[in-house]
Amino acid sequence: MNLSRFFARRRLVYLRDLLREMVGRDMKLRYKRSLLGVAWSLLNPLAQMLVFTFVFQRLVRLDIANYSSFVFIGVLVWNWFQASLVVATGAINDNRELVKRPGFPVALLPVISVTTYLVHFLLAMPILLVFLLAGGGRLGWSFLLLPAIILLQYLLTIGLGYFLAAINVRFRDVQHLLGVALMLLFYLTPIFYDTTIVPEKYRFVYLLNPMVHLIQAYRAVLIQASLPNGLPLSLLALFTLCLLGLGYTLFKRASVRFVEEL
Amino acid sequence: MSGSITVEKISKWYRKYHAGRPETLKEALLSGLRRMQPAEQFWALQEVSFTVPSGRMLGVVGANGAGKSTLLRLVGGVGFPDRGSIRVQGRIGALLDLGAGFHPDLTGRENVFINGIISGLTRREVAERLDEIIAFSELEAFIDNPLRTYSTGMQMRLAFAVAAHIDPEVLLVDEVLAVGDLAFQRKCLDRIAQFKRSGCTILLVSHDTSTIKNLCDEALWLRRGQVAAHGPTEVVVGAYVAEMSAETRRRTPEAQPAILTPSGTELRMNQNRFGSQEISLNEVRLLSKHGFAVKELESGEALRVEIDYTASQPVSEPIFGVAITRPDDLVCYDSSNQTALKLGVLQGQGQVAVTFERLDLIGGPYFIDVGVYEREWTYAYDYHWHVYPLEIAHTRGEKGVARPPTRWEIKSL
Repeated sequence: MNLSRFFARRRLVYLRDLLREMVGRDMKLRYKRSLLGVAWSLLNPLAQMLVFTFVFQRLVRLDIANYSSFVFIGVLVWNWFQASLVVATGAINDNRELVKRPGFPVALLPVISVTTYLVHFLLAMPILLVFLLAGGGRLGWSFLLLPAIILLQYLLTIGLGYFLAAINVRFRDVQHLLGVALMLLFYLTPIFYDTTIVPEKYRFVYLLNPMVHLIQAYRAVLIQASLPNGLPLSLLALFTLCLLGLGYTLFKRASVRFVEEL
Repeated sequence: MSGSITVEKISKWYRKYHAGRPETLKEALLSGLRRMQPAEQFWALQEVSFTVPSGRMLGVVGANGAGKSTLLRLVGGVGFPDRGSIRVQGRIGALLDLGAGFHPDLTGRENVFINGIISGLTRREVAERLDEIIAFSELEAFIDNPLRTYSTGMQMRLAFAVAAHIDPEVLLVDEVLAVGDLAFQRKCLDRIAQFKRSGCTILLVSHDTSTIKNLCDEALWLRRGQVAAHGPTEVVVGAYVAEMSAETRRRTPEAQPAILTPSGTELRMNQNRFGSQEISLNEVRLLSKHGFAVKELESGEALRVEIDYTASQPVSEPIFGVAITRPDDLVCYDSSNQTALKLGVLQGQGQVAVTFERLDLIGGPYFIDVGVYEREWTYAYDYHWHVYPLEIAHTRGEKGVARPPTRWEIKSL
């Protein structure tokens, strides 16, 4: 029995190592032979933040305190979500040779995609903190909740990723549909505006978007130094767990056919 | 440290879909999900059972499309059988798709790391073996250069070096190993033999029957997804080869009358001539170095064999083979154009010639057997067996087959 424990443990160590190396490979490849290296993963959200700040503070005036930090959080959270979903959806098709390899844990592929962009997200965190502190903010105890919110988004994205990756093997246009859906969802998520401007009669439908609650939670703990709204987050956590279980099951069942479809 | 494979009555459907099977959601919705069903199904594998006990090596032979690779992948856990069960005990290593996960922009060392982990090692295990792997690949000088600066041969060497250090308990080998140069192939085979000596359980798929004969304890012959025979290597491989040549005979047209070749030999279908005749050999000439037709040569002289063929339809990459055999069927030398000369698509009449610079054979009667084969060796288009005799003039005081240029010396010390 100790032996089986040993093998289970080795398996976990192995999966961790594999995840780490694959994510490391993606990071290395992205910035190999580029002058600025990792700075690229910061430049993009910074540029977005500058443009949003210019448009919504100088052209259209939105009355939001600490707008740069406000919009920077939105952009970072959204970019992580969007980029991981797009890459996770193509994860099976883009890694044929790995999928066909005996012993390769295919279910790790979407996790690898989401983790890669988690690393980008975390790399931008120090910059965000600089902005927050420069904007006169201070961090309260609620900051300690940040890892939990990140974990929630991580699992939510993986769950969705399993779904999309499994369907995309059969229908290649899921990738294109996803692009359109994400673009529309971007405007329906409070990235550069605040939910207070959403009229009451649309509010119920609007709040069905899980990203609304996630971004608000991030802003609560980072900017307002207050606790996030508990009820929607708990529901979201429950939803995430169901989604993850369902997505994983679907993915596993579909994975029997991956080799034939590829 | 012992693995085993148990395969019980596994079957696997192969599904063929309509050419117009919807590729996108839109098409699927428009066609009302009707065309989603496969147009045709057949068994890629049917009721296949076998066990490979610990430390044994099973070779799988069979024609192309007989289900060999499907079987190997299923045993490796890629996909599932539609029926039956597969149990594999022990860590699986695979010598197939060498270099999966290799990336041209990463250095050799980085690629070794990632490929090792993809192959099933933990980081620590790769780190411990890194020096050994690099030494085995003989690429120390280049290991920190990006992979894109490597030649294909170097990449294969690196990939195999990683694969050779995963110390699996169950090893799956596909014939992809047939790539690379001869030295590399030999290194692969040596390493596989070494795995076997160390007690590894091995499943080897190949249509090269000699590899299987040399290495395997047992052989399994797959015919259209079913087990045609399973047992001692010699017997199974022998039966397989016999059926392959029977396949050739079956395709041989019966009704053709005996033909007299211009050089005076009678060719009779299914007696000394076999093949489907998509390409036929009209005439074969044995010539001396001066270009004269010969039936007898001195040992060590040159021989040129000219083969006139007619291809009644376009045939892509056929293989021409010329073998020197003895009346007792010993094959003294067997050679084909496969590695030496690309033929492309043949149609109409033409000539293929091969020159043996020296026939260093011991004196006696020989035959030059000439054949032209399908590009995968699955059957012969035309094969002339024991039709063209060649006498090597009597050489005195020697025994054996080969007669290398020899010099004896003596001196006192």
